[in-house]
Amino acid sequence: MTRNAQSLLGLRHLTLILISFVMLVPFYWVIKTAVTDENIYAYPPSLFPRDAHLFNFVDVWYLIPFPRYLANSMFVSTIAVIGNVLFNAMAGYALTRQFTGRRTVLALFLSCMLIPFQATIIPAYLITAKMGLLNTYLGLAFPMLSTIVCIFVFKAAFEAVPKSLIDAARIDGLTEWRIIVRVLLPLSKPAIATNVILTFIWSWNNFLWPLLITRDPNMQTLPLGLARFLSYMEDTTGALYAFAVMVLAPSILVFLMAQKEFIRGLTSGATKG
Amino acid sequence: MSLRSWATSRLVIVPGGMVIVTLVWLAYVGAHNHGIVEGHVVDAAGQPVAGASVQLFERGFVTHQERGRTTSDAQGAFRFIDNRSHSIQLEAEAPGLGRTERRILRLWFAAQDAKIAEPLRFAAPK
Repeated sequence: MTRNAQSLLGLRHLTLILISFVMLVPFYWVIKTAVTDENIYAYPPSLFPRDAHLFNFVDVWYLIPFPRYLANSMFVSTIAVIGNVLFNAMAGYALTRQFTGRRTVLALFLSCMLIPFQATIIPAYLITAKMGLLNTYLGLAFPMLSTIVCIFVFKAAFEAVPKSLIDAARIDGLTEWRIIVRVLLPLSKPAIATNVILTFIWSWNNFLWPLLITRDPNMQTLPLGLARFLSYMEDTTGALYAFAVMVLAPSILVFLMAQKEFIRGLTSGATKG
Repeated sequence: MSLRSWATSRLVIVPGGMVIVTLVWLAYVGAHNHGIVEGHVVDAAGQPVAGASVQLFERGFVTHQERGRTTSDAQGAFRFIDNRSHSIQLEAEAPGLGRTERRILRLWFAAQDAKIAEPLRFAAPK
């Protein structure tokens, strides 16, 4: 490697380290506040935690029904993830097939992506109510059971599978459903990981929909619990930030576990050849 | 995917490890959550105070409320057996000695058994 190339690489790394630092500072500040009882408005702010402890996390666990909220969020996210992988895989496969009106369906999907969820929330609420799913886990996960972005992720992944492989499977007598399960899904692990991560994070952070359809406090999810906690504990920033860390941790963990597949899933189909 | 590669996958190891740590922690909690809080009351000279009234305050959302009261014995020792909280305060009161400062005790889990190393100390009379 020439001297010029080396210094260019060093400069690139330095830039990336600086950008990473800027991105990570808010996270560091949240964690620092969560492990201390410092007031975040204190001036001058201390860079490092003083008298760090973990008791704010214990307070969060006991002062509100945190385990209940956690279990609710887990149930809802699990239902949403399962529904997403199942329905999106089916929809993605259908879109790789040739049928009359395929382009119209694609155009409809793309145009639906432009409509914000807030605009469709009333019909979504009425449909959920008609189905008797208000205040249920399935109702909470209902609008997240299939997402258009994730359908396109599956479509791109399935299109990357050689057509001859699918034809061979069909000649061997596999039904369409078994082609998806036995051939396409095992070859589309990055797309599955992308679906799992995106759906989990969206469902986990969802605030507006659970706020609308839950009646019983025992059915509330973590973001609603966070809002409730904020209203009670607005002057206790340590506990509040500890709550924020506890809400964030599972989705960060899921992302870290599957980030390699996630990035591969998002970039698959980006280039041809 | 072979059983070996499946078992060594991070998607199994991380959640599996978390489940194991949680189970161990729950077993520890189960063995140490009898709600026993023990300590001593001493005067300014460090001598045990018998007959001091010790109050236990439990943390609510905004305030602390009294949840228990006991009396120190001849050695100045006191013992609560029904603490259900994770965050408490202790205060002793004795005739002629006044009140001690409230001692904040934050526990790792509700009803954790705790022995206070530093006794509740009355201030020297002014």
